[in-house]
Amino acid sequence: MSDFAETPVPDLSAKPSWRATKNQIMTGLMTAAVVAVAIPLVAVLWSVISRGIGVALDSFPAFFVADVPIISRRPGPGMGPAILGTLLATGGATLLAVPLGVLGAVYLHEYGPTSRFAAVVRFMTTVMTGVPSIVMGLFIYLVWTMRFGYSAFGGALALACLMLPVVISSSEQMLRLVPSTLREAAYALGTTKSRTIVTVVLPAALPGIVSGSLLAIARAAGETAPLLFAIGAAHRLNPDLLHGANTSLSMQIFGNATLAFPGAQDRAWGAALTLVTLAFLLTLVARVTTARFAFKR
Amino acid sequence: MDLRGRSQHADRAFTWVTRAAAALVLVILALVALTMTKRAWPVLDKMGFEFFTSSRWSTPDDHYGALALIFGTLYTAVIALVIAVPISLGVALYITQVAPPRLKRPLVYAMDLLAVVPSVVFGLWGVLVLSRYGGLGRSFLTAGIILAIMITPIITSLSREVMETTPPTEKEAALALGANRWEMIGAAVFPHSKGGLVGAVMLGLGRALGETIAAALVIGSALGQISVDPFKPGNSMPAVIANEWGEADDLHKSALVALAVTLFVITIIVNLIATAIVQRSMRRSRGT
Amino acid sequence: MIPRSLWLLAAFAAGGGCRCGTDVDLTLNASGATFQKAAQEVTIDAFTRKFPRIAVNYGAGGSGKGRQDFADRVVDFACSDAPYKPADVGKVKGEFFYIPNLLGAIVVAYNLDGVESLQLSAPTIAGIFQRQITRWNDPAIAAENPGVALPARAIVVARRSDGSGTTENFTKFLAAGAKGSWTLKSGSTIEWPADTQAGAGNGGVAQLITTTPGAVGYVDLSDARAAGMHHAKIRNRSGAYVAAGAESVAAATATIELQDNLIFSALDSAAPAAYPIAAQSWCLVYAQYPDAATATAVKDYFTFLVTDAQQYLPEIDYAPISPAMRDRALERIGKIRGP
Repeated sequence: MSDFAETPVPDLSAKPSWRATKNQIMTGLMTAAVVAVAIPLVAVLWSVISRGIGVALDSFPAFFVADVPIISRRPGPGMGPAILGTLLATGGATLLAVPLGVLGAVYLHEYGPTSRFAAVVRFMTTVMTGVPSIVMGLFIYLVWTMRFGYSAFGGALALACLMLPVVISSSEQMLRLVPSTLREAAYALGTTKSRTIVTVVLPAALPGIVSGSLLAIARAAGETAPLLFAIGAAHRLNPDLLHGANTSLSMQIFGNATLAFPGAQDRAWGAALTLVTLAFLLTLVARVTTARFAFKR
Repeated sequence: MDLRGRSQHADRAFTWVTRAAAALVLVILALVALTMTKRAWPVLDKMGFEFFTSSRWSTPDDHYGALALIFGTLYTAVIALVIAVPISLGVALYITQVAPPRLKRPLVYAMDLLAVVPSVVFGLWGVLVLSRYGGLGRSFLTAGIILAIMITPIITSLSREVMETTPPTEKEAALALGANRWEMIGAAVFPHSKGGLVGAVMLGLGRALGETIAAALVIGSALGQISVDPFKPGNSMPAVIANEWGEADDLHKSALVALAVTLFVITIIVNLIATAIVQRSMRRSRGT
Repeated sequence: MIPRSLWLLAAFAAGGGCRCGTDVDLTLNASGATFQKAAQEVTIDAFTRKFPRIAVNYGAGGSGKGRQDFADRVVDFACSDAPYKPADVGKVKGEFFYIPNLLGAIVVAYNLDGVESLQLSAPTIAGIFQRQITRWNDPAIAAENPGVALPARAIVVARRSDGSGTTENFTKFLAAGAKGSWTLKSGSTIEWPADTQAGAGNGGVAQLITTTPGAVGYVDLSDARAAGMHHAKIRNRSGAYVAAGAESVAAATATIELQDNLIFSALDSAAPAAYPIAAQSWCLVYAQYPDAATATAVKDYFTFLVTDAQQYLPEIDYAPISPAMRDRALERIGKIRGP
């Protein structure tokens, strides 16, 4: 409850017509801001769709399954290895970060609201969300790539480091929304804490956790910098998670964005279209999950 | 229901598993700090404080001075803030105070979409469309514009959350006294949200400082450029790391890792301050 | 109780470790010059059609990276536009050969609306790249291009950000041809003036030029033609302004001296019809490989490189090596052996 005496009183001393005009100007500016934000969003999406759709649909489904052309100045598909690489690295990262993140969130919320250790971890988690992705990439290079070489798994590790704090934060928020009555009912029946969490709390928080994780996955799928130091480069499909260099949609976009040949640039736009579609789908599913199934604030 | 005995051990094991998972955050952060400082040591030992004060970055002479890169990183972030903050606050105000209810959800979704477009796609658009046809070429300004587009969703959504917690009583009090909408915002929303907005802006700053790929593509990769002319090409710490890593020798790699450590420290400080401000303002507003 | 997802992870990791589905017996890894990138790509494409069970990865990270990776033995072979400095030869982990596989040209490409042809000499180029000449209608440029309408546009200089053999050859040419006015020395990395923009690899510089009106930079002829860029005629030592092309590059290489280790330089040739920035490039290969299969694969690739692959070069604007060079190269390649 705020201190009413602190609330500034609006300055109503100016002439009424000037006040009305000012209000209109400000409302206009706010509307202009919305338009200003819409412009780049529409411009970027327009470019991605109009420039990417041609090569993506050219002799469908060639773009999505064909190898990356060795001759970079040759026009035409494909991005098959990049799509597979993105799925491998992001999928691997999900399998690492989501279970560990949820368990960590469980600790923070269920066991540690009063613990000093939990407060430190919670604070450090927020710090970790702000670590630039290139720093994580270099870190993985130093501790993994230098020892084991390039692989999709190295990329998965780097992405997992980026996803972990995000999954912990969002999962903790979701756990907080589960009504304590559910927990108390389970305890009243004599269930142990761990059993309560696993059989009652987590299922209740699941939609929210899934939704938060999907958003984290969507962001990880688009990352480039961490993969630069972990995944290498490849032209052919490499389904092997643990051995051998791989590539990803994000790396292909980055690589082709710096070439002068229209064929390569077209492939970059096609890859961008694929990546953006993937990220949008994940976000859409996340939003629908929250809207339909999760507890609300 | 058998609720005794073996479940005790399972319970304790589960507690330890979750504690270990939580501790993982501390372990990873500590490892990052340790391994990277160790790898950066050779160049810091060689250059000493000059690493931060010299603007000369010369590989053949093994002389690494990061001043121009630190400047470039900060300058592009400042440009990004100058562009993004008014727009983000404007959008947040529009969504929370002006928009008709039916428009709110689509606008929020639109900001979500903007947030999830990968930075490399913004970079691609920046280098092949904006820089080429926008007449700006590659410069601090072009990089700043791309960064601004990327940090707007963060600042907007955080500002929106903070603004939405303005107590309705204060808003209604201002309106009851005869204030129009803008005056009400000035009297009720801003004083209440001040802290949170500052925090949101700083989190946006943190993101802008760390952004690598989009900046690397449009900043121009110039050497030693310290100039406030935004139309000049420049360079930034993450862009240099991404561009020069491939062919760096030992000392060069050490210099690049030192850049990463510098970036790490700067973004952590910014994020710490921002989080503290946001948390304090949220706590105050919710009465927690 | 271990969450089900951890079991899934273990299964994934175990299953993910299988090499199922790959149809390749051996992979050769290489890195190096972007000057050669197009040629290597075409060669690998043709080679894998002849030898489908061998994969070759050429990571074009620049001559500097190529020489370093090769010295560290993290790649099976490398390509570089410049030989090792005498001090660095000792760092290479084993006896190796320079195998010349093509000749090309470094062109001064530019992006200037309405200007279809340009003539430049080394001192003028030096002035541009040292940022002493900053506008296209500068008197120095106008003097060499009578009758050409030069706009008052600002010049944007594009150069390399990575350690580049192309840079090394280009600056060697400037050091020789603009003696006195070129002060930035020569080497694979240069301390360029602050107001220059950088691209990664020849491809990056080409892209910088094509996307920036008013830009000028040095790139290999192959990339310049493929990207549709205009490039200047350069004045050679005999005083003639020569355009880069198959004949002018051939004229430059007619006068070279081939050393014992197959090193030579085609830059700044005195021949009247020679293109002054004709550049050479080599691939580096070890004399011995610890694995018999790798040794055979490398031998096959290099033999292919200097014989069958040569036919593809003119189409992508490189010049093949002379028969004499090829024979000496094959002789070296014959010496590659296994454990």
